[in-house]
Amino acid sequence: MESVDDFTRRARAWVIANLPAAGDDSLPERELQALLFDGGFAGIAMPGRYGGAGLTLRHQQAFFDVAAVGHRVPRSFCVSIAMLGATLLDTASEVLKSRHLPRILRGDEQWIQLLSEPSGGSDMAAALTRLDRDGDDWVLNGTKMWSTSATEADWGMCLARTDFTVPKHAGLSMVCVPLKNTKGVTIQPIRQANGVEADFCQEFFDDVHLPSDHIVGDVNEGWKVAKTLLTHERLAATGAAHGYGLADRFDGLGSAPSADPAMLVKAAQRRRSTAGLRHQIADAYIERKVAKFAGERIDTGIRCGALAPGWGSVDKLHLGMNVPRESKVALAVHGCDGVIWDGQALVGGNAGEDWVVSRGVALGGGTNEMQRNLISEGLLGLPREPSLDTRIPFSEVLRSRRGQARDA
Amino acid sequence: MRFELSEEQELFRETTRRFLQSETPLSEIREKWQSAEGFDRRWWARAAEIGWTSLMVPEDSGGGCLSGLPACDAAIIAEEIGRAVGPGPFLPVSLTAFAIGVYGSPAQKAALLPRLLSGDSVATWAFAEAGDVWDAEALTTAIETDGDSVVVNGRKCYVEAVGSADWLLVTAKGDAGLTQVVVPGNASGVEITPGRSIDMVRRFGTVDLVDVRLPTDAVVGDIGGAAEAIDRMLQLAMILQCAQINGAAGELFEQTIEYAKTRYAFGRPIGAYQAIKHRIADLLQRLEFARAISDAAALAFDEQQPDAHELATIAKAYVPDVGLDIVDDCVQINGGIGVTWEHNAHVFSRRVALDRALYGAPEKHKDCLVDGLGLVSS
Repeated sequence: MESVDDFTRRARAWVIANLPAAGDDSLPERELQALLFDGGFAGIAMPGRYGGAGLTLRHQQAFFDVAAVGHRVPRSFCVSIAMLGATLLDTASEVLKSRHLPRILRGDEQWIQLLSEPSGGSDMAAALTRLDRDGDDWVLNGTKMWSTSATEADWGMCLARTDFTVPKHAGLSMVCVPLKNTKGVTIQPIRQANGVEADFCQEFFDDVHLPSDHIVGDVNEGWKVAKTLLTHERLAATGAAHGYGLADRFDGLGSAPSADPAMLVKAAQRRRSTAGLRHQIADAYIERKVAKFAGERIDTGIRCGALAPGWGSVDKLHLGMNVPRESKVALAVHGCDGVIWDGQALVGGNAGEDWVVSRGVALGGGTNEMQRNLISEGLLGLPREPSLDTRIPFSEVLRSRRGQARDA
Repeated sequence: MRFELSEEQELFRETTRRFLQSETPLSEIREKWQSAEGFDRRWWARAAEIGWTSLMVPEDSGGGCLSGLPACDAAIIAEEIGRAVGPGPFLPVSLTAFAIGVYGSPAQKAALLPRLLSGDSVATWAFAEAGDVWDAEALTTAIETDGDSVVVNGRKCYVEAVGSADWLLVTAKGDAGLTQVVVPGNASGVEITPGRSIDMVRRFGTVDLVDVRLPTDAVVGDIGGAAEAIDRMLQLAMILQCAQINGAAGELFEQTIEYAKTRYAFGRPIGAYQAIKHRIADLLQRLEFARAISDAAALAFDEQQPDAHELATIAKAYVPDVGLDIVDDCVQINGGIGVTWEHNAHVFSRRVALDRALYGAPEKHKDCLVDGLGLVSS
């Protein structure tokens, strides 16, 4: 196999000759991904028969960390490649892999995950969306929520219940759903508390017919696929994965612009008094600075193998705590000028509107509470809390849920 | 501690850990609580033998470190000392050895360093003044030139290991500016009042200097030219303290996690309850972040990066309160036994509380940071 050094040199030469400079946005992302594919640099660690380069993740990392420095790379395909593509590679049938992986790597298909539901975000295995047999085909009914970029996606990987008579983890299947121009599929962007339409959506499935070869892995083995998907999500978040860009999404993700230290200082300078605010500003500044080094340290630790991939949760927990915290600092420092203004126009982006949505990061991508479970149980080995619903048929779980609601 | 430690650094860490475990286990630390010096001079010479004293001194002055990054190497020792709540004047000796090794004259190096590095003598930095003054600009100890001599007058407080020190590096202010001068502990006009600290084994004291007359060649560097040395010494002090806090808090944290796995209440290990495990997860996040900023500050110091001063300040503003909250929560998780003398929690808590205050508490450093951001205090 080509050494990482040789590869990096070859890749660097190709990057310089072919990729636009960083910040040059003239080429659409899909075309940029196709350019990478035609050059043999898409899915560097994916097997050649699916359109990859057949090398290793070290080569993949070297490409983005070294060879591509100073140039623009297609980041919007990270979810498609590093999460969904990698999951297909690990779990899907030969038919699905050879049909979709080359298209994903070429940028022809954008994929998303369809896991959470309105009835349960953290408790993903309690999915109510159902997938029923209809002759040789399957029929999908239900709704999924919080799916990022669903309006742009071509395909979704959807966790649905195929058997209600067995315990919750045992009756799930993962199925590929075409999202564009599909009968029975409705996609609605979610409007956030600040009035702005978000990048994430709710999807409704009404009698969506799917051929049986769309099932990923085996019927009723969907939880295994979902766990594989979550592992790839964690890897992607640290940049230690097939694609790239998810790690960058964390940088400043959801951070309130009004809590930017420079903005805080400006706002404070306009005030008559900064009594009680100086140390709050210092804390906001310190947390962002420290987070930068901590993120780098955790990424390094995961990449060099000193830390398990689950350590990404430590970073995420900080983000989920810090964004609401610094948004409150911004609310205090901006004071009345952050919540009151002259004129009839609805002005966004002030400290007040920032604060109203600041809990989004504490909830999306795994709530703070889920991160704390992952850290304490997964990383530190503390015992799990007993679950009440893992050994009884899911239909009974639902029945007792309805019963409790009636009794209340 | 950085993940990319070399084999040599790993070995050094291991050696340091074993040395502390075998020579000064916590039972020994508890015994030393009674003693005036808090450490044994022969033991200190053995610590010097395995390299504790020479890391911050350049090779051409008789020192040497492992990786070419002296503060990163010294932080390894500091963290291990914190873990073991170890004794000894590691902090003041590192600071004074660094000052002489980097800023001292050839004669000063020849006269002071060999015995300091061998552990035969101990030195300390007499910097701070009464009222918790850690700002060089706010110092009032005065130095005047008088012919071939300098004369020092003032009072220095919170001076570590001053009762054990053979000489002191005194920071003073004169017409020319900040000046540092080597003062023998037995010089005429020097009066040392030994004192204690909350820590089990680290001793402190106050130094009164009344018309202390010294030859001008006792001045380290130029008269009035000590600002850079002081700034770098303060950075180093903060970096080593942060590493020490991370070590102490991290060790008690690890012990507490094990306790949470084995202590049962209401039929389950207490660590199974989210009230406990979520608290532990929050502490791990903060400890990890504290380690990251400490590492970053040490590396910036060694590479003399432009933001080295700021990163050390951020570290000292951030790490001590993380450490304090960790030991505090650990006491709570350990339950009633955690507030007894027999339990070791207080031994760790004492170390953290001391290092939080020394070289400026987080509140002071936050003020400096906000000033630096351009927000002048109102």
